[in-house]
Amino acid sequence: MTHDDDFADLDRMLAALPLEEPPAALRSRILTSTVYRPAPAVHAWEFWLVGTVLALAAWLLWLVATVPHAGERFADLTARLVEQGGLTSLTTLLWLAVGISTAWWISQLSFPTARRVRSR
Amino acid sequence: MPAALAVEPPVAAPVVDDQALIAAVLAGSSQAFEEIVTRYQRAVYNLAVRTLRDSNEAQDATQEAFFKAYRALHTFRPGAKFSTWIFTICYRLCCDKLSKRKRISGDELPDRADPSAGPEMLAERSDEAVRLRAAIDALPEKYRTVVTLYHLQGKQYDEIATVLNLPLGTVKTHLFRAKEQLRKALSP
Repeated sequence: MTHDDDFADLDRMLAALPLEEPPAALRSRILTSTVYRPAPAVHAWEFWLVGTVLALAAWLLWLVATVPHAGERFADLTARLVEQGGLTSLTTLLWLAVGISTAWWISQLSFPTARRVRSR
Repeated sequence: MPAALAVEPPVAAPVVDDQALIAAVLAGSSQAFEEIVTRYQRAVYNLAVRTLRDSNEAQDATQEAFFKAYRALHTFRPGAKFSTWIFTICYRLCCDKLSKRKRISGDELPDRADPSAGPEMLAERSDEAVRLRAAIDALPEKYRTVVTLYHLQGKQYDEIATVLNLPLGTVKTHLFRAKEQLRKALSP
């Protein structure tokens, strides 16, 4: 006689034992947390990027703020750059304005697809 | 022989096997995962509720098990049994919950005592299924889980051993002792 024979009645009872029904809301809970999980508003990498940029900005700010006469030095540097770049000359500024407006005007042009197809 | 009640699909169920469903989920099919949930949520919930003896915690464990399975589906070994895999995930989650419960309550026993599962209450219960379920609930955790898996997976001892991470011999011993205790509890 085997152990299986010893427990034949019990095995029969176990085989006949129905499984408990899970609560009705469980299925939707599972699906909502898996396949139908809403996309996160902010991705982890975006969070880290913004955090790093902010930390870097704070560090730079602290660095500038702790340098003696930082404001004066910054103003001097800006003035030197403006002068060296020729931005004080009216002609340079005029050509710069022409260049920017031309670039903007070209960017606004649109070429219909149909015309390009016809020209082929 | 106890049939693998929840694991074997009913006669009218679609013939798509688990491997095909998993491949479909990995290819982005939500319906395929819904089908997997339909097939296994009862069995997984039953394993959790028998192990934890608490419906709310069992629901949490079931949800977490499916969530973990979904996240790690790409690591599922082709050819393995999905039921064994998800039962293993669920059982580990249940163990975590039991040890957390033990830490909080400081009990010697890792599981919560069920006052309705005592022998005097059992005697009052006439229905065979109710009595058997109560008797299973009254077993110590290690025996309870073995019996539950035996009920869910049939006589697939190696699968039970995989889920519980126990040697095959230990599983058979636990099952034998569990059945002895069950028989004693159910005898008039």
